[in-house]
Amino acid sequence: MLLKMPDAPAEDRPPEEVAELEFGKLTSTDYLYVSQHPAGQPYPNPVEDDPPIFIYIVTYLSYLILIIIGHIRDFFGKIFRPEAYEHLVEKDGYAPWSDGFESFYERRLKERIDDCFARPIHGAPGRYIKCYQRIKMGINKYQYTGGSDECLNLSSYNYLGFGQSKGTCTEAASEIVDSYGTSGCSPRDIVGTTDLHQQCERLIADFVGQDDAILVSQGYGTNAFIFECIADSKTLVLSDALNHASTRFGVRVSGASVKVFEHNDMKSLEKVIRNAIAQGQPKSHRPWSKIIIAVEGLYSMEGDMCNLVEIIRLKEKYKCYLFVDEAHSIGALGPNGRGISDYFGVDPKKIDVLMGTLTKSFGATGGYISGSQKLMDRVRVDYATNVHGESVPPPVLAQIISSMSIIKGDLNPGEGALRLQRLAFNSRYFRSGLKKLGFIIYGADDSPVIPLLVFLPAKMPAVSRKLYDMGIALVIAAYPATPIVSGRVRLCLSSALTKEDLDYVLEKFSEIGDLIYLKFGSGIPGQTKKMNIQEALAGNVEMCKQPNFGLVKA
Amino acid sequence: MSPESEFTFTTTKTTTTIQTTTLPPTLESLSNTLADTFVHYLNYLGKVPGGDWLLWYIKASYKDDPVRSLFELALFLFGVYYFFNSRRKENKSDLVTLSKREIDELIDEWNPVEIVDEVTPIEKWQMKSLPVVKGHNGARIQLENLNKAKDVVNLASNDFLNLNESEELKTIAKSVINYSGVGACSAPNFYGTQDFHVRLEEDLTDYLHGENSILYGQDFVTPSSVLPAFVKRGDVCVVDTGVNIAIQKALVVSRCEIEWYHHNDMKHLENLLKEITPTLDKQKPLKRRFIVTEAIFSNGGSLLDLPKVVELRKKYKYRLFLDESNSIGVLGNTGRGITEYFGIPRSDVSITVGTLANSLASSGGFCVGASPMVHHQRLSSLAYVFSASLPPYCAKVACQAIKEIKKLNSNGKSILISKLHENTKFLHEGISSAIKDSNFVEVISNINSPVIQLSLKGPFREAINLPEFYGNTSFLTTARRSKYNNPFDEKYNLENFILQKIVDQVLASSNILISRSKNLLVHEHLPVAKPRLMVYANTGVSIEDLSLLIRTINGAVNTVCGSINRESSLDTLTSEMKVY
Repeated sequence: MLLKMPDAPAEDRPPEEVAELEFGKLTSTDYLYVSQHPAGQPYPNPVEDDPPIFIYIVTYLSYLILIIIGHIRDFFGKIFRPEAYEHLVEKDGYAPWSDGFESFYERRLKERIDDCFARPIHGAPGRYIKCYQRIKMGINKYQYTGGSDECLNLSSYNYLGFGQSKGTCTEAASEIVDSYGTSGCSPRDIVGTTDLHQQCERLIADFVGQDDAILVSQGYGTNAFIFECIADSKTLVLSDALNHASTRFGVRVSGASVKVFEHNDMKSLEKVIRNAIAQGQPKSHRPWSKIIIAVEGLYSMEGDMCNLVEIIRLKEKYKCYLFVDEAHSIGALGPNGRGISDYFGVDPKKIDVLMGTLTKSFGATGGYISGSQKLMDRVRVDYATNVHGESVPPPVLAQIISSMSIIKGDLNPGEGALRLQRLAFNSRYFRSGLKKLGFIIYGADDSPVIPLLVFLPAKMPAVSRKLYDMGIALVIAAYPATPIVSGRVRLCLSSALTKEDLDYVLEKFSEIGDLIYLKFGSGIPGQTKKMNIQEALAGNVEMCKQPNFGLVKA
Repeated sequence: MSPESEFTFTTTKTTTTIQTTTLPPTLESLSNTLADTFVHYLNYLGKVPGGDWLLWYIKASYKDDPVRSLFELALFLFGVYYFFNSRRKENKSDLVTLSKREIDELIDEWNPVEIVDEVTPIEKWQMKSLPVVKGHNGARIQLENLNKAKDVVNLASNDFLNLNESEELKTIAKSVINYSGVGACSAPNFYGTQDFHVRLEEDLTDYLHGENSILYGQDFVTPSSVLPAFVKRGDVCVVDTGVNIAIQKALVVSRCEIEWYHHNDMKHLENLLKEITPTLDKQKPLKRRFIVTEAIFSNGGSLLDLPKVVELRKKYKYRLFLDESNSIGVLGNTGRGITEYFGIPRSDVSITVGTLANSLASSGGFCVGASPMVHHQRLSSLAYVFSASLPPYCAKVACQAIKEIKKLNSNGKSILISKLHENTKFLHEGISSAIKDSNFVEVISNINSPVIQLSLKGPFREAINLPEFYGNTSFLTTARRSKYNNPFDEKYNLENFILQKIVDQVLASSNILISRSKNLLVHEHLPVAKPRLMVYANTGVSIEDLSLLIRTINGAVNTVCGSINRESSLDTLTSEMKVY
């Protein structure tokens, strides 16, 4: 047993086998689908099943018990084991780093299931992910056996499967190290801009259908300081209730006023816009100088998309501006992988500020902002990150350029389309399978993010540990990342997974679902019949390609 | 709550019934009816769960002392009123009631401004003057624009140790890319922590003699994520007035109480601490309090008097938040930063933040310090929790860079770092003596700063009517950010343009690329002092090339500034900007 994390076990399998474990081969051309919203049809609000009411009651009770026991432990712990609370109380005249109340959730709830988070891995996060074996030895301490477990990866944002250590993109990234080095060396505006940066920015602008784009070395960092350039204290930002923390941070830094509308609720948005224009700024009632609607393309915790068509209608009707965060949707949605506007068949130029990240679908890191030439010129002059933040390092640029060229079809023609269509099929196939088994699933049918509701806090580690033992790695999320009653497992699909992998995962999910009672749903909403695993898998390939998975309301 | 709300419901109902149904002839009969109805409805309470008890309580209390009952009822009604009132109190009194038609009219009339202002002709030069490197970035570069000469000496790069050109780092980077791919594809708390990240955290901890460390995906967001994780509303930060913009943003976001001390003025800091600490000591519970500063200041390049700050922080029980972006891999015999330079243990600095993108030739940021502090960030620091991890190869490259820095010569000094010190000293002294008689510029940075910073001299600036500082002072005076961003300042633009002309002149005359400070006035919350010329020391540049700069810089300055002496020539500059 080792206290420090050991070195990764040596990889002695042949490269072809490793490549297969990172990106599975397509087993049949039936397993493809094109992700596209049927033109002219309204965006359907996903129908969501509710669990039996007692599940809610038990969930609240569970949290109540956890909190009470936590406080009891704190109470006695402070008396009998003061040394464990040293960092939570005043000491030598210094206030604690965080007081017991702030860290209560972390110490008394998250700590109990700490082994389900931050599992260290090694190797590329592809179809399989290699997690270090570890044993929990007290608070925040682990022992390592030296080995690692290879699990099917339903956790990484590796939508198009570019998380590879073999292949075109990796070769490009590795070659660029020789000709460009390892680091960006300097902020963009000092001497950190190379021809490669410019090439990459032109490519992105072309890919997302905007005039120009600016690259940033981190997705969070992109949002954190972009609002400063477009908003000031006379600006109102209308923010979706479930927007990402980076957007909220960015708006806060900019000093703009914020009003929140209910998640994806267009009636609420319209009402807020009308009121905002009518009432103007608080106290002075002067009109707002501009109103910016901030939404995300694909919500990473809910798995649903913004209703882009309707939002654009509202924004045009009320002369607002639109900011769309395509962190998850770019590359993952649309027949050409060009994001939410591609999926809905909308002209991307109707979106004023189009932001996205390159961490997810492209297997790189960083983010971009794109928009009209006028906007981007202003951002180029006024963007603090360009002056003070590091520029994107060359290998990351090479990864972005090569993966984006593959998606566009300029490089390895056919491969990009195949990856996109595999992702779309996998997402639908897996989602329809889970729904038929009777799990409660949130989100849109075409979304590669699939939140599976488990509600009870105790069931989250149960699912995570059980499935980990069966060789499946997934992410659990609970309060405060989600509302208190809707603890969930989040599954991220990838084109790297094969249909057979998904069948295996569905089977195991079905077992676990029966074992710990997770199948609260009614099959397909409106239909009362739940299926067993054989029924659910039979004909699922054809059924998942039909609207609403071929299952009409009973 | 439920039985009580039932109770209110009944009482209000009672009053309305009376008013609408019966018109009592006399006061007496009114009170009788009222009492009857009240008791009648009150009895319904018995049917509500828990109502029995409430009924008993009311009866008993009425029997004992009717006045008390009345008082309790009033108190209860007030509570209910307060509860419903405070809910939507926000702005309610401020809202105007409008009909649908009026709202439609207002919407028709509303004329929003453009999302951004167009870049004006006198700003465009800022974009055009950006150097674009063709190919490899390093000590010698080729430029795509500006100067097409074959080789340009690069004295503008943050890669002080020129490790971007190191073969060892490149080999390591390639091996990791071929093992782990490029991106980490996940957040650190999920499956984004790879062995390379853990190794780098261990190496940084060991290298900087901390207890623990944590990595961030970008350097610029690190301070604005670390500081707000600890400093909440009501906590106190005592801050140097010269801090960089990343820390300014951190302070704005944390909404803490801010006290400012004059830039690097230890006397003022001491007086300030003496003055405010007694009141803070009385507060219960104790507020967290920090001294926030930089080791080598990005703005101006002065060096922090760390021993004095540590002495003061211990005496008055403050924690020290230190931005070592420009000093780790720079100061001290083995590049361990300002603590090594002054021989002070790292544990005396409570929070150290720094960047992997400068001396360590990688990318990303980090924070080093005590274990509970670092651990707290893993769940509470926004940029750590809500962002993907650093690419694994970046982590490994930084590990290798630390290894390279740790290679010592016979004197026990790091080979790379002592070369940097030599170059820095040579440049600093050379430039200082070359311009010592100059009427136009002076060196303002500390001799230890790897970035030699020059600004226009006071008399010259006065002669051409440039103000002492730019921007507004409201952050300093009120400790609250100004509600409005700084407007575009033509003089600031002009001074920057003069410096850019010097940069261009140096490039044209000696093929050496230097840079200038590019603080964005519009986003700065503190007053912006004079813009500076920036010469970045680099171990990859030979002494001959440095000498060339030293020989030519004064000439270049004279060529540019010599022609600027009256206000009228400023107009010429403005027209030059437009055709840049």
